[in-house]
Amino acid sequence: MAYARPCGDFKTSYAQDMALLDIRLYRWGFAVLLVALALAPWALGRWIYLLNDIAIFAIGATGLSLVMGFAGQISLGHAAFMAVGAYTSWFVTSQLRLPFAIALPLSALVAFAVGAVVGLPSLRIKGLYLAIATLAFQFLVEYLVVQTVSGMGGTPVPSMDLLGVPVNTEVRFWYLVATVWVLGAVFATNLTRTRVGLALMAVRDRDYAAQVLGVNLLYYKTLAFALGAAYAGVAGSLFAHYNRVIGAEHFSLAQSIDFVAMLVIGGLGSVWGPHLGAAFVRVLTQLLKMWAPALGALLPVLGRATTSVHDIVFGVVLIAFLIWEPGGLATLLRKLKRYVDLWPFPH
Amino acid sequence: MTYQFVLEGVVVGLAVGSIYALIAVGFTVLYKSTKILNLAHGELVLFGGYLAIAVTSAAGFLPVPTAFAVGVAVTLLAAAALGFAVERAVMRPLFGQPLLSVIIVTLALGYVIRGVMVGIWSGETRTFPPVVPATVVRVAGVPVSLVGVWSAAAAALLLVLFGLFFRYTRWGIAMRAAANEQLTASTLGVSLKRVFAYAWAFAAVAGAVGGILLGLWLGVNFALAAVGLKALAAVILGGLDSIPGAILGGLLVGVVETVLGGYIDAHVKLWGQPLHGFKEVTAYLVILLALMVRPYGLFGTEHIERL
Repeated sequence: MAYARPCGDFKTSYAQDMALLDIRLYRWGFAVLLVALALAPWALGRWIYLLNDIAIFAIGATGLSLVMGFAGQISLGHAAFMAVGAYTSWFVTSQLRLPFAIALPLSALVAFAVGAVVGLPSLRIKGLYLAIATLAFQFLVEYLVVQTVSGMGGTPVPSMDLLGVPVNTEVRFWYLVATVWVLGAVFATNLTRTRVGLALMAVRDRDYAAQVLGVNLLYYKTLAFALGAAYAGVAGSLFAHYNRVIGAEHFSLAQSIDFVAMLVIGGLGSVWGPHLGAAFVRVLTQLLKMWAPALGALLPVLGRATTSVHDIVFGVVLIAFLIWEPGGLATLLRKLKRYVDLWPFPH
Repeated sequence: MTYQFVLEGVVVGLAVGSIYALIAVGFTVLYKSTKILNLAHGELVLFGGYLAIAVTSAAGFLPVPTAFAVGVAVTLLAAAALGFAVERAVMRPLFGQPLLSVIIVTLALGYVIRGVMVGIWSGETRTFPPVVPATVVRVAGVPVSLVGVWSAAAAALLLVLFGLFFRYTRWGIAMRAAANEQLTASTLGVSLKRVFAYAWAFAAVAGAVGGILLGLWLGVNFALAAVGLKALAAVILGGLDSIPGAILGGLLVGVVETVLGGYIDAHVKLWGQPLHGFKEVTAYLVILLALMVRPYGLFGTEHIERL
């Protein structure tokens, strides 16, 4: 009731029709959300690290959502783009000794370029062949990371400071990452209603039909990959300076699959999907990490099985979502909203 | 690259490649009849290897060959059961869903299977008790371990048996019919549900046999799951929907990996550092090259899309 569209809410201009936050309640809701994000460190205390973690991966997942959710191109190598961003940032700050404020946009740019190159084949190969090609790309990047920079161990990354202010606490990092997160999310959301976003969706729904309608496939497919990769690059750069050490294991195939899991669980092709999914996946990961030893102590029968609890739970959750709610959390929320809207009537 | 080096590489590569071919055939059959690209195939291989070793060791009170036979029998039955279970519980509810869901669900399945196996058997490398004596024989003047020869022979025999199965048996023909055109086959009375179930069981069994053969030769650890991806390279190279293509692709991947990968590992330096483990990524380079040049593979049918 409370947020139902008011009766007689007629739109009298295109600007009103296109507005992202088209009714007063949504505008207030968004303002409250921003305030809540700003006040989060006080509310959460030391748990703010969870939110930092979520934010980094939500930025990456937003990128994948452009590639998979909007442009419909399957990518199983998203973590590799994150690696590109992370290592660019590492190179720029520790080898070239340039400030982080330059490294962050540079990582996005380099990842953008790499994404454009990797996206090129998507014109010739599609569907499952594309999935396999991105999978191969993922393995090659992992191999290169091990062979050239990091070896089997990790590479230390210098701490960052932004325009002279050292970002050395969880709270300071939160304000940095939250700003990037909100800007990135707003940009992606905005993109979906522009010519670019609509072209991407046309490509997703039927690429040849889109081409007939005058959508340049080469341009939009590579653009989707490049944009998605740029988001991953930003996430990688932030991750590198947050974690302070990067290695091949942070950008493995498992991480790529985690990104896909975030999208599927959150909801493909939805604006809120990547954020909900990232929150779900990261919180679940952290909880399982915390509880696994306790679980093992409680039930010694499980023995070693506790070490692989993460994989099993993940696989099962993913399968359950695909079978019962392919629309993910975003669709679940929509259903809930509808239920509350119509309450107490079922229809 | 001396002649001797290439010759050795080719012989060893063919032996490994025959096992890849076997695994790849399981992959292709599944793809042909269900249009599912199974990214959990490596886990099925792993499952076969680990279970066979576990059962063989558990039956250690028997003489070694008998224990091994018991291990193989139990593993094949379990693999078939696993295949049926996967089809019934996970794949059937997703029938007709978009490609993306199906690919992701096989990935998730791989997670679950591997997680359970890590839980039960932890990660360390396990080996079979000496079923085949660890002697070395010479093939075309090249020393190869006897186990390798046996594996290659077993793989070749099984490939022939599979060929006969698809050529002459009722269910083999039904599966080919479904692969050719699902809808037509189903109107002619072929039960698609059963064909799918059999295809999964078949894929799981082929994977398990591959796991056992590789396990006999090299031992089993979790890196073995990567073999599933090598089979993927074989299948892409040969053409996703072609069984002869899968066999040829498997052999080619085996040879390229051993000759080229082995050569680069041993002789090529990058910035003064030797490249380690290049052999492991050769398969992915093969995938990328094949996709660039001939996406439908050597023998695959070219997919023509209509609006």
